[in-house]
Amino acid sequence: MTTTPRNVLPKGVSASDFEQALTQIRAIVGAEYVVAEDTALAPYNKIMMAVPDEQHAPSAAVMPDSVEQIQAIMKVLNQHRIPVYPISTGKNLGYGSAAPVERGQLVMDLRRMNRILDVDAELCTALVEPGVTYQQLYDYLQEKKLPLWFSCPAPSVIAGPLGNMVDRGVGYTPYGEHFLFSSGMEVVLADGEVLRTGMGSMPGSNTWQVFKWGYGPTLDGIFTQSNYGIVTKMGMWLMPAPPDYRPFLIQYPEDTDITKIVDALRPLRIAMVIPNAVVIAHTLWEAPCTKVNRADYHPGPGAISDEAVQKIRKDHNLGAWNVYAALYGTPETNAANWKIIEQVAAATGGTLITDSTEQGGRATQYRFDLMKGKPNLGEFDLYNWRGGGGSMWFAPVSQAKGSETLKQMRMAKDILAKYGFDYVGEFIVGWRDMHHVIDLLYDRSDAEQMKKAHACFDELLQSFAREGYGVYRANTAFAEKVAATYGPVKRDVERRLKRALDPNNIIAPGRCGISI
Amino acid sequence: MQPNKTRILVASLVLGCAQLALAADPPAQERDRTYAKVCGFCHDKGVGPAILGRELPVAYIENVVRHGFRAMPSFRSTEIDNAALASVARWVSQSPATSAASASATAPASPAAPATKAQ
Repeated sequence: MTTTPRNVLPKGVSASDFEQALTQIRAIVGAEYVVAEDTALAPYNKIMMAVPDEQHAPSAAVMPDSVEQIQAIMKVLNQHRIPVYPISTGKNLGYGSAAPVERGQLVMDLRRMNRILDVDAELCTALVEPGVTYQQLYDYLQEKKLPLWFSCPAPSVIAGPLGNMVDRGVGYTPYGEHFLFSSGMEVVLADGEVLRTGMGSMPGSNTWQVFKWGYGPTLDGIFTQSNYGIVTKMGMWLMPAPPDYRPFLIQYPEDTDITKIVDALRPLRIAMVIPNAVVIAHTLWEAPCTKVNRADYHPGPGAISDEAVQKIRKDHNLGAWNVYAALYGTPETNAANWKIIEQVAAATGGTLITDSTEQGGRATQYRFDLMKGKPNLGEFDLYNWRGGGGSMWFAPVSQAKGSETLKQMRMAKDILAKYGFDYVGEFIVGWRDMHHVIDLLYDRSDAEQMKKAHACFDELLQSFAREGYGVYRANTAFAEKVAATYGPVKRDVERRLKRALDPNNIIAPGRCGISI
Repeated sequence: MQPNKTRILVASLVLGCAQLALAADPPAQERDRTYAKVCGFCHDKGVGPAILGRELPVAYIENVVRHGFRAMPSFRSTEIDNAALASVARWVSQSPATSAASASATAPASPAAPATKAQ
């Protein structure tokens, strides 16, 4: 429709071919749901990674509203060999947001597909589309007065369960390992075929959302952190709201306390006395979310000093480590388990805080909300720490052993400091692992900091890999480098799968390092 | 706890219309729906700067929403459609200064405040 020459085209596609494809796609979804002008594409190109926007600029965006439309679009894309980058809510902030993994890819924005297709209040399951947000699901359950909870990540108001699960994100309730608590996917394959995983393959089955495995190989995993298909529906398990919810915070004064914290909490987590994903947040994660102003403690350039961090702790009653967890049960079971929590806190020298408003601060409040799956955006306060909209999550996996966590924390802190960045980190306790989540915060409007942030992330990645530590997830700018840390055989298998399922290499080539 | 016995099957159109509903004009005193469901989670909570009661120009608000601004994410038309954006921008622009809003507006600017340089 536009006559101005295009700045951005998909790799290897001519301008005339691309125009022709867009005309065909407009006929499928309607002209208003295809955008290819710079201004209209701006929201798809707002990133927080330390690379120029241009590196992840989309050529166009299409916004289908149904599986049938997606199927028809895939035919056009195959015909013209146009790479497409599907997004759900596009709020994977700090991991790539709504921008494609490679410049020129056509974004397929599934946010309009926002139907909550089914909620089964007896079986505690839901079936949702890619555009459903956690806030929408929360409002829905509230309106229907259904006593059901879900687990959500920090940007829950604007992010959604399908996209988060597909990227294997985590949350903070007992259902915090999101992929584990999914059940069944619908996937549009590159050739337009629609696959339902697990029991969903069987005509007439009503067990898609209750039994994950089906018969034969369980395929769900290959559609997470990959580019083998476009996930259009996801089943998820919901948690019955417990009669009694007891969130708590335990604060510890020293960095080295992390060893005894982890070793004391691990048995409780494995045995499910504490059923949720325990968070162990460092001072500098709590500080921004308590409205501490960094410049008041460190006006100059470079990483904040240990002395300044000590002063922040003292001035604002923050721990070196701040442990968030909760008990979920009946008043009787929680009363019994509460004694164990009190004993553990006393034995390890922690200060136990239970009332978010009286003793804890605003950081405590948003954490207590997240642990019951109540969406909020309290954690976005992190972005005010350095300012300037630069954020990349460096998230290596660690064993849930104290000695390991302290080693990782020190490694990360040293490397960050070398480049002038602060250690803003937390550990999220899985069942036997910990996601060590570090926010590499920097000012994206400062070219020097951009360069340093990129180099810093690279060094973190390589140094941790040398010690055998891999990340659980990464931003799209580092997809190739992260994939390389996992060795050649896995990559070869992934490439062979890609050839089999998407021979024209049209679905998000480069995503998680997978391409033909 | 007795679980709700009703199996809820949602007519797929009901929530599909959520975007359209966002476009409806709110009564003057009522909170704009987009503001209540998106913007307010940061801008009413002191995470982002207060934006009510500052007579921010409509075009400026629309531009920031679509492009993002420093730490603020951008929002696409699939999230906040053009009609809903026009409505919320007008509502924010015309909002009267409340004591809470003016208090945060005059507080020291956070690094994310729009007074700082654009990217």
